[in-house]
Amino acid sequence: MINVEHLKKSFGKLEVLKDITEQIGQGEKVVIIGPSGSGKSTLLRCINLLERPTSGKIFINGEEITDPKHDVNLMRQQMGMVFQHFNLFPHYSVMDNITLAPIKLKKMPRAEAEELGMHLLDKVGLTDKAQEYPARLSGGQKQRVAIARALAMNPSIMLFDEPTSALDPEMVGEVLKVMADLAAEGMTMLLVSHEMAFAREVADRVFFMDDGVILEQGTPEEVFNHPQEQRTQDFLYRVKEKK
Amino acid sequence: MNHLSLGESLTELYLDFKAKFELCFIDDNRFVDYMLSGLGNTLKITFFALIIGVVIGVILALIRITYTTNAPNMRRGIGKFFLSLFNGIAKVYITVIRGIPVVVQLMIWFFIVLVNIKDGVLIAIIAFGVNSSAYVAEIFRAGIMSVDGGQMEAGRSLGFGYIPTMRYIILPQAFKNVLPAICNEFITLFKETAVVGYIAVTDLTKGAYIITGTTFSAFMPLIGAALIYLVIVMILSWLFGRLERRLRASDQR
Repeated sequence: MINVEHLKKSFGKLEVLKDITEQIGQGEKVVIIGPSGSGKSTLLRCINLLERPTSGKIFINGEEITDPKHDVNLMRQQMGMVFQHFNLFPHYSVMDNITLAPIKLKKMPRAEAEELGMHLLDKVGLTDKAQEYPARLSGGQKQRVAIARALAMNPSIMLFDEPTSALDPEMVGEVLKVMADLAAEGMTMLLVSHEMAFAREVADRVFFMDDGVILEQGTPEEVFNHPQEQRTQDFLYRVKEKK
Repeated sequence: MNHLSLGESLTELYLDFKAKFELCFIDDNRFVDYMLSGLGNTLKITFFALIIGVVIGVILALIRITYTTNAPNMRRGIGKFFLSLFNGIAKVYITVIRGIPVVVQLMIWFFIVLVNIKDGVLIAIIAFGVNSSAYVAEIFRAGIMSVDGGQMEAGRSLGFGYIPTMRYIILPQAFKNVLPAICNEFITLFKETAVVGYIAVTDLTKGAYIITGTTFSAFMPLIGAALIYLVIVMILSWLFGRLERRLRASDQR
């Protein structure tokens, strides 16, 4: 489903991704962990071209999206993204946040879009907030709306960039639950996160990234319980100690 | 005795005031002919200059912002060439316009550039519109930059192109952010038009000045003009305040 071939990304002289080649299958859930600055977010953002790779190729369903002639906007409609800081549109109500893209991009009639919006809000447990503005929501509620907004375009892949890192601890659970439901429905998911317990539960594979490469990967059991690389062990030790 | 003399002097003051008022405003229909028709020109110039200023200003701001955000990632080619060219023109335009006093610009338009056009009001509209556009451009540029970068990313990640994201997501927020500064610019523009007398246009200020000259009485026309400016500015600020409150509806927690 997602094929990454020899992906490199530099910001000026700083090489953030160093020759990454990887495949992610349909319905697979991959959690990417690693220290800050290791290139996790950059990898995720390259996959929907929010960052243009310096070199290398990315294929989605066999189509090369890194080809300059490929329609980036059409590709992004099939790939939802959820951000660390939610990025809800503050000047639109919750409902309008969700229906904006289907109405403008898919030319969906408003009534149909709002029906879809209510269905998605039901899924994330926020039907009562449809007419509120984002400023009136808690962090956890904002992130659930952001997930509903991303789902409104009916994407086949969902990218999550540290979706719970900006949340107060008591709100992490409600967001993870929505994501677990989504995983159970068979969505292909790529998630940058440090929620180990969640990764254990839903991930098919865990990537440990360090210094621009995927240093180690495997099932959550392999990576978390029997890490082979010294740097993976150090990282996991530090993360556990923090908790 | 005192009481009587106070009453007398008040009566005298009133009679003097009444005489001046009649002399300056009523006789020869001066108020209507100079002040009101002058105010008409002031409002006409301000209104049309405003439209020109906002239209050119927003275009300039969009060129500058599009260049700063996109040019570093663009491949070499015709698109990048034109964007760089337009950005260069916009920068020079803003620098030149902001660097020259508006009275001087006004006279350059009137005596040099549009020397064949005799309609002073039209020239004033062009001069003030162009002048205002440079300020509006910078105000909008700041407003667009003040919108969080994540908003553009969120729009793009949903599949919106650059221009639709600007239109539906960035500009509405930028517009709300710049309202106080734009209100300020409109008020400044309105008052700056008081210099159109330099190109022989009779606006409110010139009208008051003419009355002062013919009646040798300065108080009535000048204070009258001042009050008219003040009241209109107060109405403008009040209208903007209302608009701002309406647009802030989404900010309430």
